Amino acid sequence: MPVLKSLIDIVTMGSEKPMRRLLGYYGILAIVVLLAAYLWPGALRRIAFKGVAGVSEGPTVLTDALNAIPTAAIGFGPGGLGDVAITTILILLGTVALMLPVTWVYMSARPIPGHNQQIAQTLVILPVVVAGIVYIIQNSLALAFSLAGVMAAVRFRTTLRDTRDVVYIFLSIVVGFAAGVQSLAVGALISLFFNLVILITWRYDYGRNVLTPTASSQWAGPLHTLASPTGELEIPDRDLILSLTPEKADALADRFGRVRDALGKKKKKPRYDSVLSITTYHVPEVQNHVDKVLDKMAKRWTLDEIVSNTGRPSEIYYLIRLKKSVPRDDLLTAIHQGSDGMIDTVNLETGEPVEDKPGVKA
Amino acid sequence: MIAARGLALLLCALPCTTACRETSEAKAAQLREVEATRKQELARRIALADANPTRRAPLAMWIMPPELKEISGLALKPDGRVLTHGDEVGIISEVDPKSGFILKRFVLDGEPHGDFEGITIAGTDVYLLESNGKLFKFREGADGAHVPFTEYDTRLGKECEFESVAFEPDSSRLLMACKRVATKSLKDQLVIYRVQLPISNSARPTMLAVPMDVVVGANLWKHFHPSDMAIDPTTGNYVLIASEEKALAVITPDGTVVRSEPLPAHHNQAEGVAVTKDSILIVSDEATQKPAAITLYRWRP
Repeated sequence: MPVLKSLIDIVTMGSEKPMRRLLGYYGILAIVVLLAAYLWPGALRRIAFKGVAGVSEGPTVLTDALNAIPTAAIGFGPGGLGDVAITTILILLGTVALMLPVTWVYMSARPIPGHNQQIAQTLVILPVVVAGIVYIIQNSLALAFSLAGVMAAVRFRTTLRDTRDVVYIFLSIVVGFAAGVQSLAVGALISLFFNLVILITWRYDYGRNVLTPTASSQWAGPLHTLASPTGELEIPDRDLILSLTPEKADALADRFGRVRDALGKKKKKPRYDSVLSITTYHVPEVQNHVDKVLDKMAKRWTLDEIVSNTGRPSEIYYLIRLKKSVPRDDLLTAIHQGSDGMIDTVNLETGEPVEDKPGVKA
Repeated sequence: MIAARGLALLLCALPCTTACRETSEAKAAQLREVEATRKQELARRIALADANPTRRAPLAMWIMPPELKEISGLALKPDGRVLTHGDEVGIISEVDPKSGFILKRFVLDGEPHGDFEGITIAGTDVYLLESNGKLFKFREGADGAHVPFTEYDTRLGKECEFESVAFEPDSSRLLMACKRVATKSLKDQLVIYRVQLPISNSARPTMLAVPMDVVVGANLWKHFHPSDMAIDPTTGNYVLIASEEKALAVITPDGTVVRSEPLPAHHNQAEGVAVTKDSILIVSDEATQKPAAITLYRWRP
């Protein structure tokens, strides 16, 4: 992947714009395909156009029924083991190559930040499976019925969070079909066109209700307020604003408020100057251990919050003021040493309260 | 820097790719080798057949690929190759019967579906016959080409079910033998319609009717249902085969039966026939219990 990234960097002259990088990838893919067409024209015809223009296959050597030598032994013609193997490998590689940019678009061009990793992986794996199935079945009605029987036995259902995810799944099936019927050229065009449409609709926020404010206008005001007590400071990183959901912004505001309360009133020496965060699956044991360490090493401390999670480690937050004689690393080492490996991560964030300077924006 | 590295990579890759290129010459050389071997073997078998005229063993038999499992008519080209087609889709294949190669395939525009039963060549035009008497005229196409066609309705569909068509160069007519005759008065006749080229709506096809008992002769068949016909290039006689009766008949253009006999060997469903200038009889068989095939025999007019 780093090689591919470097190649895309070369083609796009280092641009980070998604459209340019996407077109860069397809450009590289086109060069590889042209090179393959130059080197192995027969192999490319078998995987890219066969299903579309199936009438042209060049000369075919017919089996001589009066001679004992089978056609396959002559070394060419359809059905040879080597041919089948090469065709299968090319089909599967082609499928993955076409689905990679789709997964990038899926992970990037989303109105709501955050994607489902399972779907991203499915988008690569599913078409490979579909291509394999279709390639095996081809024109066999009997095999098609067999597949229907197997699928009836293996039922699977899942509910997708975003209806747009269904479209991605459909696309992966389509690309898989195209690969399976040896028409990857069609699959490539569908993949390219799909990605471009998705990127354009995402870029221009197509279909947005004109009465609904945009993400930036919706959150610019509250985040200004959040950035400083006076509301005069701006957060320069526009991406940060756009990446916040309303729920996340509320949670962040709540956290800031509590930290501000803990730090004390303005122009007064704060009671605590650091936040200790720990992630663990063993909250009671770890809490007991950390309490003892903080008793020894902190000037004062208080338990701020315990966030219980299922399926991932829970989080414990402390507000602390360390003794001047205790370095930060010593505290982290002491916490780690007595935990018997029950702590996943521990982090100490220290800082001084921001002093407002009139006329200067941070 | 990045661009320079990319350029260097490209320059290094170019000579390697040129050296590794899979050439079509290598494959063509292999094909030529197989062709030479097969033609040599065919010549040996022809010599064997000529040395023993009573022997009716096939000279060659080529198994057709799946797309030609319903192989139907055969049309002999001047170069000795034959055009053939499947039963349902307008896809035409060119076969070299002496080497057993399918040389090319082309398709009628829009891949028309129908009950295609016969094919023949008239000069530069190719005619494909449907069982209802409709004719599709087109030019021979290159490998993989989609060729335009013109459709003609002979309006003989109500009178006859057709499975055979042949071009008679001497009179510039298409011959269409009836497999099943609808007209009661012609039930006991072998009916061959003659359509003058170029086809026009005003010209009514003429008809050659040969009494069926004359065609059957001393054979034990009750009838003779032609499944294809061809012109013997040496004598100009009509060579007809019947799939149901597994029979062959030779008739002169004026309707005299030269001979009628069983096909040289057992053919499950003989759907196409052609006779070459160098006296080789070619019979195509649709797949039944056996795969579809074309079989070559020594032809003795």
